[in-house]
Amino acid sequence: MAAKTLRRAQLSQEMCERLSRYQITTCQDFLCLSLLELMKVTGQSYYEVQKLLCKVSRACAPKMQTAYEMKLRKSVNPSSAFLSTTLHSLDKVLHGGIPCGSLTEITSPPGCGKTQFCIMLSVLATLPVSMGGLDGAVIYIDTESAFSAERLVEIAANRFPTYFGSDEKLLCMTRSIHLYRELTCCSVLKRIMSLEEEIISKKVKLIIIDSVASVVRKEFDTKLQGNLAERSNFLTRGASVLKYLAEEFSIPVILTNQITTSLSSGPGIRADLVSPADDLSLSE
Amino acid sequence: MQREVGTLPLAPALRARLAAAGFQTAQELLDTGPCGLSKEIGISREEALEALQVVRQECLGDATRTAGGAGASRKCTALELLEEEQSQGFIITFCSALDSILGGGVQLTKITEICGAPGVGKTQLCMQLAVDVQIPESFGGVAGEAVFIDTEGSFMVDRVVEIAAACVQHCHLIAEAQQEEEHRKALETFSLENILSHIYYFRCRDYTELLAQVYLLPEFLSEHSKVRLVVIDGIAFPFRHDFEDLSLRTRLLNGLAQQLIIIANDHKSAVVLTNQMTTRIGQSQSTLVPALGESWGHAATVRLILHWDNSQRLATLYKSPSQKESTTAYQITSHGFRDVQPPAVTHSTGGTELNPRKRPRTEEEKQ
Repeated sequence: MAAKTLRRAQLSQEMCERLSRYQITTCQDFLCLSLLELMKVTGQSYYEVQKLLCKVSRACAPKMQTAYEMKLRKSVNPSSAFLSTTLHSLDKVLHGGIPCGSLTEITSPPGCGKTQFCIMLSVLATLPVSMGGLDGAVIYIDTESAFSAERLVEIAANRFPTYFGSDEKLLCMTRSIHLYRELTCCSVLKRIMSLEEEIISKKVKLIIIDSVASVVRKEFDTKLQGNLAERSNFLTRGASVLKYLAEEFSIPVILTNQITTSLSSGPGIRADLVSPADDLSLSE
Repeated sequence: MQREVGTLPLAPALRARLAAAGFQTAQELLDTGPCGLSKEIGISREEALEALQVVRQECLGDATRTAGGAGASRKCTALELLEEEQSQGFIITFCSALDSILGGGVQLTKITEICGAPGVGKTQLCMQLAVDVQIPESFGGVAGEAVFIDTEGSFMVDRVVEIAAACVQHCHLIAEAQQEEEHRKALETFSLENILSHIYYFRCRDYTELLAQVYLLPEFLSEHSKVRLVVIDGIAFPFRHDFEDLSLRTRLLNGLAQQLIIIANDHKSAVVLTNQMTTRIGQSQSTLVPALGESWGHAATVRLILHWDNSQRLATLYKSPSQKESTTAYQITSHGFRDVQPPAVTHSTGGTELNPRKRPRTEEEKQ
């Protein structure tokens, strides 16, 4: 929406040409200027500029929906709202399972089973809807090289022996889990940005990023001054793209995080300040 | 009439030509007339006429302002303001302790900012307010509608359904206890479906959409004149990334704050913003402070900070023009925002959906 060009916002041709001389080509550039600057750049009077602003705003503003319409839309399709984890008490606490359309974060100290949980969820996502799965592919972004395909097959074969009885079913399942090994923040961000097309072409129904914390902690040392801002920048950018993907395609997105002891404010273990969970950005 | 040509809201090229032709005051322009003007500056007669109309409108506007007329001006005496404030309603939060430190609830025509760490209850409070603004006047509410601008995607319809159902239940209980005609009439229109239909939801994905939506809000509010609450959930989120130029960010935020103040005043609605917390690295320690910087702190009139103390949720009134700084505890139940239940109060079995606020209210209204 922000990158929408002014021409598509139905501004006149000569106005667009005039603005492009000042490097103002998208709605974003237009809306970032103050009224006086706009007057100078467009050469129009105050009232005309306000009318132009409304026109451009109408081109980018989101559509209105009432809460009632949202509820009706949801009630039309209740079963696709969650990915059941097949652990009954966990599903009960989560009111159905991992919610589709939003980000879920899994945090724990090392060795508790985050990666195992993610591997199991990948298997579940490939199952048909009748068995509680999402009948789709999985994108698995692995930053710690902890994903083991053998373990994946072991879980599948032991958990659902009847369904995965034949080799070809197993092969089919493993073919639909797309693994990406990314080792730096930059490559993780680039991968996240490129996911939109992959989701459509491969019919992806689950995105897992394991783990955000490891790659961020490797590169950003919070004790150094400028790093906090850059880290927060990276996290929010990644977060907003992931949220957009989750909402747009109504799929669950799972992120894993690490735990660190915070010594500054009192005893006890808190989720890493780096991570989504905490204040900085992702968890919102 | 003595207004200088440079201050008139004309196109810059036109102003430059007028200055070159030697025009200095608006009066000179009006005296020349459209034909004379078009000949002297070299513009068409229609353009000259348009320009003169703008000038006349401006000068008329000035005249009424200086003559102390009502309408466009925003001045009034403190007495009028007092009467207005006293008759104005508040939007309650259903947590009586929080309402009392706020002085009755969230005030209309003011901007209230709610800051807090993730998970502490900011979006819950916003959803609670979006339901509470619709409480009918006979129950002490404002009977308005709500606009919910969501930048983070944390609006959950199912949760709003729960909160709204609990609110309707609460009103039904009051109506039963009191048996008054107006209560019953009000309840006919205060149903779950109506509540949900009057929450107008906008999902803004980045700051451009947010800016665009706020530019279009005055128009929307004049079409939907019953709106009494505008919630922007997550004003910080779209502004925290992709901004290498922090001065641009400050300017955009200030512009946004100005527009919201105008909206709050003109349409007599409350504006509620939620903000995130960020770590400020001090000399020896790091503290959590509201995000978006120092200058943003001036935008909100009332600032509420929600935080944790071990496992208890607390709300601190950090900035308010009329109430003193204080902290109170609250909790979030399946029915929404509520008081922390004091241990001394005994309440009936968990079957009915009573909340601690119900008993004190019926008692005082029975009088």
